[in-house]
Amino acid sequence: MSNSALHRRWAVAAATAAVLALTSGCSGGDDSGDAKSITFWYSTSAQDKGYADLATQFEAKEGVKVEIVNVPYDGYQDKLKQAAQANSLPDTASVPSLDTLWVNQLQDLSATANNATNNINKDLITAQDGKVLAIPSDVTAAGLFLNKTLFDKAGVAYPTDPAQAWTWTDFLAAADKVRTTTKVKYDLVYDRSAARIRPWIYNHGGKGFQLGADGKYAAPDATTVQALADFAKLNDDVVMPKSVWGAGADPNALFKSGQVVAYFSGVWQVADFADGITNFEWVSAPTPAEPVHATDINLGGKVVAFNTKKADAAKKWVDFIFQRDNYTKLAQTNGYLPIEKGLTLTYPFTKKAALDAFALYVKEMEIADPISASGQANGTKLLLAGKSVDDALIKDEMGKLVNGQQDAQKTADNIVAGLNQQIG
Amino acid sequence: MAKPPALRRPGRGRKGDVPRRIGASSIMWLLAVVYGFPGLWFVLSSFKPAGDLFSYPLTLFPKKWTVSGYAQAWTQFDVARYFLNTLIVASAATLLTVVASALTGYALAKYQNWWLKAFAVCILATTMLPSETILAPLFVVVRNLGLYNSLSGVVVPAVITATGTFMFRQFFVTVPNDLLEQARIDGSGELSTFVRIMLPLARPIILTLAIFSFQWRWNDYLWPLIILNDPKQFTLQIGVASIVGAQNVNWSVLLGASVLSMLPLIGIYLVFQKYVMNADLNAGLKD
Amino acid sequence: MISINLVLFLLFFVWPAVIGLNYSFTSYTGVGTAPYVGLDNYQRLVDDPAFYAALVRTVIYTGSVVPLTFIASLGTAYLLVSPYAKGKSVARVIFFLPWLISPIIAGVIWRWIFGENFGLVNFVITELGGKAVPWQSDANLSLIVVIIAATWANTAFNMLLFVAALKNVPTAYYEAADLDGAGAWPKFRRITLPAIAPTSFIVVLLSTLHTMKEYGLIVAVNAGGPGTENNLIVQYIFTTGFRRAQIGYASAASFVLLLILMIVAVVQLLASRRKGA
Repeated sequence: MSNSALHRRWAVAAATAAVLALTSGCSGGDDSGDAKSITFWYSTSAQDKGYADLATQFEAKEGVKVEIVNVPYDGYQDKLKQAAQANSLPDTASVPSLDTLWVNQLQDLSATANNATNNINKDLITAQDGKVLAIPSDVTAAGLFLNKTLFDKAGVAYPTDPAQAWTWTDFLAAADKVRTTTKVKYDLVYDRSAARIRPWIYNHGGKGFQLGADGKYAAPDATTVQALADFAKLNDDVVMPKSVWGAGADPNALFKSGQVVAYFSGVWQVADFADGITNFEWVSAPTPAEPVHATDINLGGKVVAFNTKKADAAKKWVDFIFQRDNYTKLAQTNGYLPIEKGLTLTYPFTKKAALDAFALYVKEMEIADPISASGQANGTKLLLAGKSVDDALIKDEMGKLVNGQQDAQKTADNIVAGLNQQIG
Repeated sequence: MAKPPALRRPGRGRKGDVPRRIGASSIMWLLAVVYGFPGLWFVLSSFKPAGDLFSYPLTLFPKKWTVSGYAQAWTQFDVARYFLNTLIVASAATLLTVVASALTGYALAKYQNWWLKAFAVCILATTMLPSETILAPLFVVVRNLGLYNSLSGVVVPAVITATGTFMFRQFFVTVPNDLLEQARIDGSGELSTFVRIMLPLARPIILTLAIFSFQWRWNDYLWPLIILNDPKQFTLQIGVASIVGAQNVNWSVLLGASVLSMLPLIGIYLVFQKYVMNADLNAGLKD
Repeated sequence: MISINLVLFLLFFVWPAVIGLNYSFTSYTGVGTAPYVGLDNYQRLVDDPAFYAALVRTVIYTGSVVPLTFIASLGTAYLLVSPYAKGKSVARVIFFLPWLISPIIAGVIWRWIFGENFGLVNFVITELGGKAVPWQSDANLSLIVVIIAATWANTAFNMLLFVAALKNVPTAYYEAADLDGAGAWPKFRRITLPAIAPTSFIVVLLSTLHTMKEYGLIVAVNAGGPGTENNLIVQYIFTTGFRRAQIGYASAASFVLLLILMIVAVVQLLASRRKGA
């Protein structure tokens, strides 16, 4: 017994050594500098083939293989930060946002961005001193979804053209009517996010939280504060459930229950709803205007090329992505709202509601007030000044307001103070 | 080796047993229902089509059974490769953790030293900082040691655990010192006593810690994501996390992938737990 | 051999911790230089009422979860090793499963059950003619839901520790008690409990340390809400520190947490020694 036990221990020790050798032997790493293959990191939860298709074409054309790595969204920023510290950034990437830690390692993409045939929307690129650091892969916009089945059942009409958009007051009246006639629970659920509260403020004529001349966030106007107060009042468990802004309940799931008349979210829900809602019909409706017609225009992934040893091939790949024909295919396959102007896109949805939704979003963005893009513009401006600001605190402060822990003025003050504290 | 399990009283089969059996079984099953219910929703929901997950009125059972969530999870990432990587990481870490914890726990229990006591408190301290606080500094260390972008970079920092160390310490405290003295008198070396006498005694602890360690490493997410760059080395949880998007979660796929990623853990648990249950522990402890 | 452990400990804990401790005396933002600010971060922390609010909430939470987990895990472990219970092989898996479920999934499960809008419990209550209970927008109810969820999730781990300990109680003790005609409860109290005392001690100690640091589960279940009323201490560190690029401040708060946990651990260690003596 004791002898065999001893032997077993030695076997364990040997196995340990072997496993260690195995795990350390597995370390990847080539970086020989020859541009036979480059890396492209991006993040998607869908099974989109857009980039993979482009990579195949790119390899056929340039003889350079693009290794596409899908990095989960949660932790992606951390991973990039640490990779920058370890000198192991990818050659190219589509990132959720730039980071002051590695922004100085980006290549200039101005040739691609300024190429007239590409017709890229210059307002949305990240540029500094004539150097283009990032080109968004796509644009996103906030918007309203309706439970069409409920509207039809109640016989209430809804607008389909942004030109005839509701005011929020009209919309809430219509939703009230639908709710009471069809006996469902709530008028509306509204995404708990800093980006989604912006259109509400803009629609009501407020300017929201903007940077002042001194590069810091200024105290918001009275209309903004009033809009925040009005928004909080809607969380009364009749119009809106308190649980979403108060306690982080998932509005997407609540809307899918079929017990909520409308949902204010954004274009990214279209693909999810196309597959994930089967118990009722849904439809996109124009964002209400009260009186300002605005949404929140934001950027999808930001495509960047890093200054690695394979910088030239990296730049070529990014340029390839944005060539008009290639980008058209990419946008169609991945369901992107395009960053390039004047494209005719046929999205691969089979559902009419989804196709209509995309058409509506394109129209909405054309007539949206310029303030709609200011949220992301402020972020870019701060970033280029070397400041990184996370506006997630807006939803925490709004949560306190909804929960009755503080009033609207205090909420606005806390938001400004919290944002400015990060600017330093 | 045919001795009865620890709690089996000799009175088995006597008259008072029947009510006792009914009592114990019904309490256990009541608890099982309470504990199992949330998990039941989870498993059943993984067979629901996406459109029915949040429908109202609520249903526990799928109206229409489907495995589309599983099928999509299976094609979402390279399951076989990620699975293998995770297996390597979890097995290696578990082996090392058990060895390191057993040695440290033994030392803490059987040697009286002021610096060992201090070390015990220090090991506890490793569980006291929020992971984020230590993340960036730990990364700097791992990079400086040249372990970045390798599976060993995932394994090695995880070897020391307070839980494991203290499990062994508390166990060895209960082992009578006479046993140790006897071995010393017999001229057995310290290490050999440990390997020949102590480790076999500690088998339930070894197996229990193995279950723990395997689960921890199997479900590790952020650290492997940061350390590994090559998708050929990615672990299972990185694949599962890629289902959770910035704005949307595809719940039906996530539920399917989660059920799949749990199956190996349940298998390991059942096998190891069987040995814990069957271990003949009293052999060395009886005077 | 233990020196290898010491080396690992120094490399993967002490070295990073010292770097982190260093940050706590600076206004480091994660980028560039880290200007030395002395004890400013600690001063700010001591002056922040939100920190105390989070600390109080954490203590309430821990004070509830640890005893509940202790009872539940000892109870389930006792039943699983008992010769009287039937169907143990299935029950064993049922008790184990919750521990494997990730916080994000646990969050959606518990919101499905205790969601105040369309949750199962409120569904049953309203069907029976009752009034829906604000499981999410009432601070105390919301915390109770997380306490239940945490107990559910943590039981398996501690249960396994107890199973190993219970299997280790010498049968001779029970045999002797049987000869004396002792009942089940006296046997449990006089023999089982003292015999598993070392394990009970680590269950309490490790549960306390773990529960004080709860983060993932509470964020998934109620986002620390309603509002910020159920923000526990680690969430406070994340939202006021790391999220706002205040690495220095976050590090300072972390080391204060470490200090608190250290005191808790040392007190428990001393208490257990006195009992043992």
